[in-house]
Amino acid sequence: MSANTGLLVGCAFWFLAKGSCWAAAEELGHQRTEVVKPPIASVSLAAPQFSNVAAPQDPPGGGLSLFLRNGCGACHTIRGTDAHGTIGPDLSHLGSRTAIGAGILPNTEEAIARFIARPDLLKPGVKMPAFDMLPQIEIRMIARYLKALQ
Amino acid sequence: MRGSRADPGAKPSSAAAEEDDVVRVANQPIMIRLKHVVFGAVGLPVVILLGAWIGFFNVGASSGHWKVTAWFLQLAMRSAVRTYALAVDAPKTLDSRGLPAAAGHFARGCAICHGEPGELRSPAVMRMLPQPPDLALTVGDWTDAQLFRIVKHGIRFTGMPAWPARDRDDEVWAMVAFLRELPKLDANGFRELALDGSQPTAPAALADCTRCHGGNGEGRGGLVPALAGQKEAYLLASLQAYARGDRTSGFMALPVTGVDPSDLAALARHFAALPPSPVDPDRASAEVIGRGRQIAEAGIPERNVPACSGCHIGSDKNPLYPRLDGQHAAYLERQLKLFRSETRGGTRFWRIMATAAQRLTDDDITAVSAFFSKRSEAPQ
Repeated sequence: MSANTGLLVGCAFWFLAKGSCWAAAEELGHQRTEVVKPPIASVSLAAPQFSNVAAPQDPPGGGLSLFLRNGCGACHTIRGTDAHGTIGPDLSHLGSRTAIGAGILPNTEEAIARFIARPDLLKPGVKMPAFDMLPQIEIRMIARYLKALQ
Repeated sequence: MRGSRADPGAKPSSAAAEEDDVVRVANQPIMIRLKHVVFGAVGLPVVILLGAWIGFFNVGASSGHWKVTAWFLQLAMRSAVRTYALAVDAPKTLDSRGLPAAAGHFARGCAICHGEPGELRSPAVMRMLPQPPDLALTVGDWTDAQLFRIVKHGIRFTGMPAWPARDRDDEVWAMVAFLRELPKLDANGFRELALDGSQPTAPAALADCTRCHGGNGEGRGGLVPALAGQKEAYLLASLQAYARGDRTSGFMALPVTGVDPSDLAALARHFAALPPSPVDPDRASAEVIGRGRQIAEAGIPERNVPACSGCHIGSDKNPLYPRLDGQHAAYLERQLKLFRSETRGGTRFWRIMATAAQRLTDDDITAVSAFFSKRSEAPQ
């Protein structure tokens, strides 16, 4: 009974979060509305409990813990977490940027995932090493977490 | 040559002779010699091939080589080693820290033919053709560079194999250092060096590990890593990387390819469960260790070096990122340099480490290795 309630609340949260994302994108007059579509495709992959927007409440095995576990925090800062690196960009508000990879990619979960896997392909000369050895599902979860950072 | 031979034949003919005659007389001996050359070039190989095909050449080892063959092979071998060794850049002094691993490798891979110091060799080995030399008697004939050349590349027609890892010259030099010690060793001295004095009674697969890594997984000699308390997933992934050839090492290639792949997991579990060995005795200065701590905990932001702690400190990190606390400084230093020159693979994450190592100077590497060798953290 309580598990069902939790699931319902989780789903509600998740739909609200997604909804607010799209609303924000429309408000900003996002020029590449067509590239905002991939998140819809990823909905089927999405496990609702991982889409929580608030960073500190990231569950074990969620995007933030994967981010820290694989060492991303050695180079990047996300305020309010254990990630204090100063070599790479501060990712505290990654989700609210209009573009990523020095402006070459639209800021979508899909694009963030592609950047994590092979940054060198998208931004030649980039200092960040490729993380394409991580399982695809982990890359997607990290990307989803980062996209949700407003 | 041809012209000078033909001229004396042409000149005695009368000065009034037709030009055609001169040409014909001059050409005649050349035509005959050409025939010989053609026969030699085509016929002789055919005859030799035919001889080989009908089984004329005896390949039996019972009577040994013909004297001329033995003489020629010796000449060719010694000359080739001498000449090719000219290109080898030998260090002024040989590093003795690799001796235990080299001795262990000798016991496993080389002694089968060359014999352990102070032990009689098998009569079967003594009747090999050529007979593997007793190295205690013969290493003195060679320079360090020549020994390096032989160990690294092996010798054709003798059964002497090349070093299993092409890009691990550091291991080959450790073998050369051991070969220099070999003539001074008796049976006990060798066993002390190769097996830590004890004849292992453990299963063969484990004995192959403990020979160099020690019965307590402490890692013998500084260049052999301590395994006790290392993360199990990392140990297993590393063993698999050695078996696949993703991480190259002549010392590791031999034992890891002789093990049933399903035993690798048991070996990883065994060493992961051992209590971490005590840290190295103090050798680095406090200043060096302090600089190492700085790099480990904060990185070197101006040179884009991330903090080691981001991946290597803390129990919540990826299980394929090794624990470095209490690891031998010499081993860490060597591995960082191998990463830097991209001659070390490993788990599928190795490139991240190579990227970071390429931003480190020799001094950085010394400092950070010293720091981790002193650091201790309770295992997870």
